[in-house]
Amino acid sequence: MSRVWVVGTASVTAFGDSPDVLWGELLAGKTGIRPLSRFSTEGYKTSLAACVPGLNSTGPGSLVNVLLDRLCKHLPPLPPDTLLIASTTKGGVDCLERVARGLPAAPDEIPLPALGAALRRRLGLTTPGFTVSAACASGSIALGRGAQIIASGAATSVLVVAFDAVSEFIFSGFSALQALSRDACMPFDRGRSGLTLGEGAAAILLASPELARCEGREPVGELIGWAASNDAVHITAPARDSRGLIQAIGAALAHAGIGPGDVGAVSAHGTGTIYNDLMELNAFRTIFGERPVPVYGVKGALGHTLGAAGAIETVIALRALSEGVVPGTVGFRDPDPAAVGLVHSEPTPLRGRRLLLTNSGFGGVNAALVLGGRPHGPRASVDG
Amino acid sequence: MGRAQAWTAEMKIFVTGIGWVGAAGMGTGRGSAPFALPPGELPPISRRDVFPDPDSRFGRLDAFSRLALAGVALALRDAGIEQWTLPRATAIAAATTYGCTGTDLDYLATLGDAPGLASPQLFAYTLPNVFLGEAAIRFGLTGPTLIVSDEEGTGAAALETALDYIAGGGDTALAGICDLARPAKLPKRPESPPGALFLVLERRPTLEPLGALSARGKRHGNPDDTHDLRALAGRLCTGNRTDPPASHTRKGTA
Repeated sequence: MSRVWVVGTASVTAFGDSPDVLWGELLAGKTGIRPLSRFSTEGYKTSLAACVPGLNSTGPGSLVNVLLDRLCKHLPPLPPDTLLIASTTKGGVDCLERVARGLPAAPDEIPLPALGAALRRRLGLTTPGFTVSAACASGSIALGRGAQIIASGAATSVLVVAFDAVSEFIFSGFSALQALSRDACMPFDRGRSGLTLGEGAAAILLASPELARCEGREPVGELIGWAASNDAVHITAPARDSRGLIQAIGAALAHAGIGPGDVGAVSAHGTGTIYNDLMELNAFRTIFGERPVPVYGVKGALGHTLGAAGAIETVIALRALSEGVVPGTVGFRDPDPAAVGLVHSEPTPLRGRRLLLTNSGFGGVNAALVLGGRPHGPRASVDG
Repeated sequence: MGRAQAWTAEMKIFVTGIGWVGAAGMGTGRGSAPFALPPGELPPISRRDVFPDPDSRFGRLDAFSRLALAGVALALRDAGIEQWTLPRATAIAAATTYGCTGTDLDYLATLGDAPGLASPQLFAYTLPNVFLGEAAIRFGLTGPTLIVSDEEGTGAAALETALDYIAGGGDTALAGICDLARPAKLPKRPESPPGALFLVLERRPTLEPLGALSARGKRHGNPDDTHDLRALAGRLCTGNRTDPPASHTRKGTA
């Protein structure tokens, strides 16, 4: 198996397009959650969301196209034969809204693979790509799939692009499910009452070490382990006993060839819903025992970006590995009893060289990634 | 998504079950009916068409989930692994073009002029991967479940995902393709006929296999038809073959 290096990242979030601003705002405990002006929120449970500044529709096409235009400006040069994996939950569902309302729309952007295919053509990539959709774990599962393809030798570079925009379709649905928090979400807090939606996009370029060296690309990190699972319990609620997430974490650690003691921090899904956060904390306690591994979540700052979440959170996790510190969890003030000693409101030093990242979602899905920092020393020159 | 073991380059992976639902009806790999997903209107799918016993969930599912779950059930039955007592880490990778767009439109209709009254029940089925959760619950499948839609609608990326899962250490995976008819509000475009098709892939088959593939997928010595699940099913289904396998009985007892 080939190792899998990360040789480039880009992101567009509620904090804008700059990776330094994103990191700085997270460390400063700021939030991008604001009153929503894209559509009327009258009748819904909240009026808040974490939208990308200046992201506005310019015609009948999906807002995602505008989002991807901005993301593409920050992409590194792509190696020839790069395979594109797109990741989204609902892609161009805003176009479907307009179709249903009899408004001008671009219906060709509605089929699930459509936006990914258009992006591939825009990037001039000739290798046929595909779109991964696995609810709120789409981004991390797409990254795992991309890593798997490189590890198997079937490709030497894979670009994972994950995206979702805030639409009334999604907003109304989570409101109907009573899953939205009235105020900005409070992951792992005793007073949490639901999630806050967000939007964004992230791109992560994966490459084999051989290709990276051949092209003179410096790795920014490494994808060491990946796994996914299904709870097989409920289609919208997480398994109370955390069985699926525990299974995914265990498999990802085994794949990485490390034990729980090697994990220096956890980037949690941390939606701020009562049951998701409790499920995750139970899983982390089961995996790590009494060891106080720092756990953090970014959705109090960036909202829940759905199909983009896993990729955006990976961009942040790689920066955390580089800096040796993880951000505090925005919105976390009064700890849930199960979060005491694990989750912090302030930045916390990493306690190891590996970072575990997890996501879970509708349909019972769970995903776990094990990330490493920039390869250096003998490891960087040895294939393993 | 991978598991802990390393890839085995020359490993064979067996196709042990096929199930489909199309405009011309339902079928299985070991059945006498030839595989076909012709153009036309899909018939309504009732619980009795798929499960002999009452199933409290099936009738509540949206049309997309019913179609897909029927395809999964028939494929697992064909492979002899539908019944279960303990959960199993079986993966499912499925391709779709329109997914649950029909359900999305039904949901949007509930928004209407009263946004606060949108249907939470319908919203739960507006993610294309939710039927995979239904299949996981119904059949005790705890492996990775994901939609993997290629641009051409062939199911090739789903098949590669399933093959890689087994090559990486998994025992069983399903690869499939599922689409309802194009919703009337969307423009016509070149597209495949509606229907569901699922193939069961196993490292260690319970029944005599319908065929075998290389672990590395289409890029590594597999027949050309592995770039299209429909073509692969057409080659492997007993009803289509002029040289059916010697035995379709339980392995070792033929």
